[in-house]
Amino acid sequence: MAAEPVIQLRDITKRFPGVVANDGVTVEVGRGEIHAVVGENGAGKSTLMKILYGLYRPDAGEILIRGRPVALDGPRHALHLGIGMVHQHFMLVPGFTVTENIILGSEPASHGRLDRARARAVVARLCQQFGFRLDPDAQVQTLSVGEQQRIEILKVLYRGAEILILDEPTAVLVPQEVEELFTNLRRLRADGKTILFISHKLDEVLAIADRITVLRRGRVVGTVAAGATKAALAEMMVGRPVLLALERSPAAPGELMLEAQDLTVADGDGRALVRGVSLAVRGGEIYAIAGVEGNGQSELVEALVGLRPLAGGRVLVGGAPVARHTVREARSRGVAHVPEDRHRRGLVLPMAVWENLILGHHRRRSFLRGPFLRMPAILEFGRQRVAEFDVRVPALRTPALALSGGNQQKLVLARELAFQPRVLIAAQPTRGLDIGATEFVRRQLLAARAEGRAVLLVSADLDEVLTLADRIGVMYNGRIAAEFAHGEATPAELGLYMVGTERKGREGAP
Amino acid sequence: MSPRVRLTVLQAAAPLVALLLGVVVAAAIMLALGHDPVATFALMASFNLRPASLASIAFKATPLIFAGLAAAMAFRVNLWNIGVEGQYYIGAFAAAMVGFGLRGLPAVIHLPLTILAGVAGGVLWALPPILLRLRRGAHEVITTIMMNYIALALVHYLLADVFRDPAQAGTPRIRTPLLAASARMPGLHDALALAGIELPGHSALNWLLPVGILLCVALALLLSTTRAGYEVRAVAHGAGAAEAAGIPLDRVHLMMFAGSGALAGLVGLNDLLGFFGYFDVDFPKGLGFLGISVALLAKNHPVGIIFAALLFGYLDRGAEGIQVFSRVPREVITILQAVTILAIVVAYEGVSRYLRALRTREAAVPGAATPGPEAA
Repeated sequence: MAAEPVIQLRDITKRFPGVVANDGVTVEVGRGEIHAVVGENGAGKSTLMKILYGLYRPDAGEILIRGRPVALDGPRHALHLGIGMVHQHFMLVPGFTVTENIILGSEPASHGRLDRARARAVVARLCQQFGFRLDPDAQVQTLSVGEQQRIEILKVLYRGAEILILDEPTAVLVPQEVEELFTNLRRLRADGKTILFISHKLDEVLAIADRITVLRRGRVVGTVAAGATKAALAEMMVGRPVLLALERSPAAPGELMLEAQDLTVADGDGRALVRGVSLAVRGGEIYAIAGVEGNGQSELVEALVGLRPLAGGRVLVGGAPVARHTVREARSRGVAHVPEDRHRRGLVLPMAVWENLILGHHRRRSFLRGPFLRMPAILEFGRQRVAEFDVRVPALRTPALALSGGNQQKLVLARELAFQPRVLIAAQPTRGLDIGATEFVRRQLLAARAEGRAVLLVSADLDEVLTLADRIGVMYNGRIAAEFAHGEATPAELGLYMVGTERKGREGAP
Repeated sequence: MSPRVRLTVLQAAAPLVALLLGVVVAAAIMLALGHDPVATFALMASFNLRPASLASIAFKATPLIFAGLAAAMAFRVNLWNIGVEGQYYIGAFAAAMVGFGLRGLPAVIHLPLTILAGVAGGVLWALPPILLRLRRGAHEVITTIMMNYIALALVHYLLADVFRDPAQAGTPRIRTPLLAASARMPGLHDALALAGIELPGHSALNWLLPVGILLCVALALLLSTTRAGYEVRAVAHGAGAAEAAGIPLDRVHLMMFAGSGALAGLVGLNDLLGFFGYFDVDFPKGLGFLGISVALLAKNHPVGIIFAALLFGYLDRGAEGIQVFSRVPREVITILQAVTILAIVVAYEGVSRYLRALRTREAAVPGAATPGPEAA
């Protein structure tokens, strides 16, 4: 223990109908400590943090803050005790300045009038005190994700928090931004703040945390000091040894399967989102598109699968141009799509597992008898897919929304990889998944590659891109800013292209 | 699984609880007006159980089944067709024109043509809003409401200035000529007599009731067992995923809205072909809006609509009874209906919140088993 414990969670138990989310969890965090809580999805991390933040009440156990037992009854109370939460999803007003966003909800006022000068001064002082690079007068919508996150942290500090809970803070950042975040967190630590850091990215946890508590299925598996190995942590999390390095067979590129020629996509106002992108993916090859989100990757994918009209260029599948630019045409030509937003695009959440498994295949003759669905064949197909992809479902008629994120993604993969697609376009396929499910998805991508399919992977996760891809294209501002072969680039290099500081390759200047 | 059982009970109980709430509010108003609510509801029940009342309830429920179905069909795919009202007005008038305009046809041709005219009128009036929505993004709530006004004005113009029955000149009656007998909908007297049920002679109960019930059942089956129904459900519950799966959203939306208009075209036929035999300036209004309530109460389920429509028929008939026999104003029953609908909206929201909470918790269950052969 670094110092006297600031937070003591003792034997916290929280039950939901049918689940014990936290089962006798005990965690102690000292003042000025960066303490990481890791665990797979559903391990109980979020529940524990919500208890500490006053959003849930524990069924048993006690919480001591600075040695005194407390009964938290809401975020306001938690904040009063100096506990602040930095959420994974930012809650900022885009049209407001940094200062306005920070003071929103507790504005300094004199006689009912907002005291802008004082507010600005307070924010500027906070930035200086903690060494945050941030312009108090900048409009939030002009700022990068990393800068927006700094605002969220400052919001909490502005409200006097001594204990900061950060929920998956690195999920949305590029490597350089992660570095800066860690620098900031270390400064906060030096200033005596206590930081609880929730994550499932083990490299980052090992880089920043003083101590690490591992949760599995609602229980504490152990608390280890910094210096533990990644493999040991992963095994504690999953409960079995995990292969962190994936077997990657030598590349054997085959026929050209997917080509984009000078593809241009515009939004409703005619603004170009994808600007003349050309790429070619061969069978047996994984081509990865790396990039900070919002640089045209989503639009590029939607254009390739026929969801978005083209403003220019064309798409070729299996060497021949796609005749009609529709989803059905692309699908019939053998293009499978794992959408980026699995809840909105990938699954019809209220519908049953079997209904989701035939989505897009539901016009196949084997599934129909006249205008009617041929249920025996569909259910047989469903059972077979669910078994092959090890989707954990209580029954085929369970609605998809009752499944965990990992199982939902398995469901999408099981569907998309049915019927031998030539091309698999996977957008952010491991986002939000735990280690086990991530490993499964990556294996499936490699398996598709080994089977000679062309895989186009769009991912914001650089580790994923670097381990899986045969070739990497970095997308910035609607263009492929650079292309690398496997093993040619370091994360830091990719990061430079991702934020637009470097540019090379065919595309030239804008 | 106890939460699942609890959920089923909740879903079934929600409309009943809502109805109960409506009854309580109505009872409070009766008390305030100095009437005995228990006696009033008892009177209503005994009045409604008379054979003439039962026939009347079924007759009143008939157009509500079509109106409820029309609304539900659009609501199902998140299109808010507030225009059933105007669509049925146009449909009924179109049917009337075919009914009195054509003469000398045998009923087997004339009646289907008349019905078809009603359907065509409803579709015609539904097309502008949905096309404007799909092409230009104009919200259908606004456009259908406007179309309602236009429908009413247009029908009144046609009725008074173009197709007014010349035989009524010099009288205050503003109505179309009588429809040919071959265009009228036959009553259910003979069919029910076969089943040993004697329908009161003056009852206008006609074949549209069984047609409506059959349509409900057929639509329910269509939705649950066909490919088209599957596509509709996918669009209803997850338009984005349906689109990504290659289901053409615009076509489904167009078909469902046009279908909604087609069903709306049938709403007025019960009164037109089964009762009046002419279209006049006092032709029943408001059935389209009642249909929205019926669809809400039934949660857009086709079979539920039969029961919701019957409930509304029951309340409407009962309102007449208590007005005559106990001088309780029938508006009390209108309030009961309104409170029930309000309560049902709130109750369904409550149930679906519970459902969401339940499912998020279920999602947290670690390692649910892989299904065995008994699954599904």
